[in-house]
Amino acid sequence: MEYVSPEGLRIDGRRPMEMRKLQAEIGVVAKADGSAVFEMGNTKVIAAVYGPREVQNRSQQLNDQALVRCEYSMANFSTGDRMRKPKGDRRSTEISLVIRQTMEACILTQLMPRSQIDIYVQVLQADGGTRSACINAATLALADAGIPMRDFVTSCSAGYLNSTPLLG
Amino acid sequence: MNGLSLGEKLFVQGGIAQDLRSDGRKRLTYRPIYVETGVIPQANGSARVRMGGTDVIASVKAEIGRPSPLQPNKGKVSIYVDCSPTAAPVFEGRGAEELSTELSVALQRCLLGGKSGAGAGIDLSSLIVVEGKVCWDLYIDGLVVSSDGNLLDALGAAIKAALSNTGIPRVHVAAEASGEDQPELDISDEEFLQFDTSEVPVIVTLTKVGRHYIVDATLDEESEMSSALSVSINRKGLICGLTKRGGAGLDPSVVLDMISVAKHVSEQLTDRLDSEISAAEAVEEE
Repeated sequence: MEYVSPEGLRIDGRRPMEMRKLQAEIGVVAKADGSAVFEMGNTKVIAAVYGPREVQNRSQQLNDQALVRCEYSMANFSTGDRMRKPKGDRRSTEISLVIRQTMEACILTQLMPRSQIDIYVQVLQADGGTRSACINAATLALADAGIPMRDFVTSCSAGYLNSTPLLG
Repeated sequence: MNGLSLGEKLFVQGGIAQDLRSDGRKRLTYRPIYVETGVIPQANGSARVRMGGTDVIASVKAEIGRPSPLQPNKGKVSIYVDCSPTAAPVFEGRGAEELSTELSVALQRCLLGGKSGAGAGIDLSSLIVVEGKVCWDLYIDGLVVSSDGNLLDALGAAIKAALSNTGIPRVHVAAEASGEDQPELDISDEEFLQFDTSEVPVIVTLTKVGRHYIVDATLDEESEMSSALSVSINRKGLICGLTKRGGAGLDPSVVLDMISVAKHVSEQLTDRLDSEISAAEAVEEE
């Protein structure tokens, strides 16, 4: 199947190095300390941040830095075929870990010892690149929550198909 | 979220007793309701409903399936609600299981009727394609994105809006198949049948705080409740489902009074929802 036409256009009319349309909104979840919606084309995710707050599980408390926790879940209706298990499967656990490690590296955790920062990411529509959309949404949500970070963390996915590099 | 201080509790209770709640509403006033339809493009129908800080999304997906041998002339509908941890940290992992199950069961009771499919707010026989062999299975999924109380009413409204937005593809059945063979189906991509939602009930939850009932409680007000009654009422004013929550006992006369108040409130709510849904559909068409 031709993924890149002879004129250099992909299936949705983009060039190989062209990204999808980006849209973001901050402050969508009233009860959260910080939240954001991030859309990359048809992929739409919501991130909510709760923290810094008191550590819920004393045994996990760190005395010199903040504890960063993350959970990734996909809605039942997010993919074309209905998913049976929104969270707890291995892919979700792995992506939760990836997002946590990424954000932990950029948050200035030493400024908030003995506290906990929770990042929850919910995928509403999945059309590829959910991991990247989640990281972007998490960055915006952390900024909305006023949590000190070293810098913004942005993410994009890329692949290699039929000897052509393709973006996003 | 931490609990309320004693001063805050007295403020909430006192306000309700004086018909002036913390956000200025009267006891039987709903928060502004915003409805958006078609928010999930890959579903057959979807809607998002916002009531104050409560934000829920409902989606309807239709798949071809076999009808149950006990009801060969009815399609199947299942309702499942998930509470996202974005709404509250306590919903992380399996923390939301209890609330999700409670909401799913309450919605099933209000909208789907009994085990045999009798008394359902949705006409199940309209989902049949070939009697006894092929029917539509509707999967209604609710997702709670943000919670500020009154989840059941918001989910009921979202499901009603999502069903109004649902288009079931038209199916052409090939020539008669014999015996047990599955008939050949041609599922159209172009033609859709709109769902008839005039019989779908709305859900009104009355929360009793002290000696008074309020409608559309916020999270703070719900924490002060002694008991709550959720009534689902259809357009004709008939009760389709009833759920009482909370450990405090209620005198039967109080229950009957709450039901009549709910019935009165449901008329305004139904009208408001219908106008919001048509406005949302009109926006979507543009």
